[in-house]
Amino acid sequence: MAMRAAILRHIRLPARAQTLAAAAAAAPRSWDRSPLGGSRAMSSHGDDHLAKEEVAERVLSVVKSFPKVDPATVTPDVHFQNDLGLDSLDNVEIVMALEEEFKLEIPDLEADKIDSCHLAIEYIYNHPMAG
Amino acid sequence: MAFTLRSVKVPPNSASLEEARHRVFDFFRAACRSIPTVMDIYNLDDVVTKSHLRSAISAEIRKNLHVTNPKVIDMLLFKGMEELNNIREHAKQRHHIIGQYVVGNHGLVQDLGAKEKDMSDFLKSFYKSNYF
Repeated sequence: MAMRAAILRHIRLPARAQTLAAAAAAAPRSWDRSPLGGSRAMSSHGDDHLAKEEVAERVLSVVKSFPKVDPATVTPDVHFQNDLGLDSLDNVEIVMALEEEFKLEIPDLEADKIDSCHLAIEYIYNHPMAG
Repeated sequence: MAFTLRSVKVPPNSASLEEARHRVFDFFRAACRSIPTVMDIYNLDDVVTKSHLRSAISAEIRKNLHVTNPKVIDMLLFKGMEELNNIREHAKQRHHIIGQYVVGNHGLVQDLGAKEKDMSDFLKSFYKSNYF
């Protein structure tokens, strides 16, 4: 016990220096300079949010690669069933393809509402876990 | 066997066509979400893509497009769920999956071309598939 106390009294961790280095290394956002500091190294989400252009591009490429879709007709505002001539099962299939592409699990009620490229892009862009 | 017992739970009948329709979509989603597991346990990564398997599932569902009786749809869903459970429990072998869902109805011999002319109907359907 005495040994342990003696060691603890003499050990000094450079905690201050570490947080400053981590904050400098991470992107300069406001929460980086919070007292907790650091770039939330163990966080599984939230730090690298997708840009809207990237989401749109990947959604469109998923829709274009769907076998029944003519790639030339796909635009960001296209409606799956009205414009692309797909049926409701194809719609579900596209949403599942998007889930796979962005590593999401979209709840059934919300998946039913996604029926156009525009809505899909909005939903995935606003989803915190999209990656 | 444990897994056959587990899949024997029968949900109540769908009250309407609309409810049965929703159940079909729920089943399709459940099947799509188990594709990664299935590809993993049957080592399918080098023979097929996920999107091909998704299309194969939707093609199986589309075979019964004309059914409008909710009770019949429930029965077909039960059979589909049974099949999905069997696949997920590894009750099948790799060649079952490849024969039924990867090669599918196109058959084993796909580039017949000129040879096909002097082939008997029996031989054609023999080459085509066991599954229909």
